[in-house]
Amino acid sequence: MRTEWRSLILHALGVTVFTLVAPASAQVHPLAPEKAFRFSARALDPHTVEARFIIADGYYLYRDKLHFAVEPAASGLVTPSLPKGKMKEDQFFGRMETYRGNLIVNLTLPGTTPGQKVVVQAESQGCADLGICYPPNTQRVTVPLPAAGSAPTPQDDAPRKQWFK
Amino acid sequence: MGTAALLALAGGVALAVWDQSPRDAAALLSLSLPDTSGRQQSLAQWRGKVVVVNFWATWCVPCREEMPEFVKIQRELGPKGLQFVGIAVDQVEKVEQFASELNLNYPALIGGYAAIELSKTLGNEVSALPFTIVISRKGTVARTQLGAFDATKLRSTIDSLL
Repeated sequence: MRTEWRSLILHALGVTVFTLVAPASAQVHPLAPEKAFRFSARALDPHTVEARFIIADGYYLYRDKLHFAVEPAASGLVTPSLPKGKMKEDQFFGRMETYRGNLIVNLTLPGTTPGQKVVVQAESQGCADLGICYPPNTQRVTVPLPAAGSAPTPQDDAPRKQWFK
Repeated sequence: MGTAALLALAGGVALAVWDQSPRDAAALLSLSLPDTSGRQQSLAQWRGKVVVVNFWATWCVPCREEMPEFVKIQRELGPKGLQFVGIAVDQVEKVEQFASELNLNYPALIGGYAAIELSKTLGNEVSALPFTIVISRKGTVARTQLGAFDATKLRSTIDSLL
């Protein structure tokens, strides 16, 4: 019984403190960009890497601000073909193409050696429906390439690992 | 004894939080950034006015959408000592183009990512835009707003400081 009262008081204290420090205006609380636009990459074979963005609900990326690079340069990344997004009419910039939900882009690397590691870099810029935009954001992932003839590496655990960040 | 300690803690915390002194906008007001003509403009030149610093970019739709209202408020309250200052995280040409389309009546300065980093220290944790800071004549932060600034709330904040 006593333990329950204590936790209740602590809980009430927490709520009180939070209310006192919370800003006076109705503020928006957007996700950090790495959480709004979760980037991961895995090898499908020694010359193909699947790059993936898991875009949170209520967030979107601009197609024309999406750029990929792979290190080392000898990997020879072929300019990837991007999937079709949704068209949006913008007063200033005209027709804009955006992505929501899961975005998958296959990266072709003719110059890689089976078994080597590559670093995939994704630059993206997006906004949230709640009314904010992020500056361009760069995310990098190291991808081990399989030896010749082996199966694609399994889907990365990345989202789960980031819970504790 | 446990309960008494907890109540004392609650009282102490409440007192500490209530006693928050207003944040100093000194770092922001000592910024010097180029305008679209390339001329360096020091924000310190507007000390003593009610300064509304708005971080924006042409690639940020919600930013563009709220600016016509800023132009209106500047026109009405400028003579009473209000000064909007826009800091664009953007290319000069795009800023110039949009500023002329809008008949912008307040300075549009060009800030790089260092400027956005500065906004982090004022509460913009995810470095997003638009981010607006209202500074009192004494140089303290009266209010910050992440996302579009509701016109009524903005006007009442400014009115209370003029």
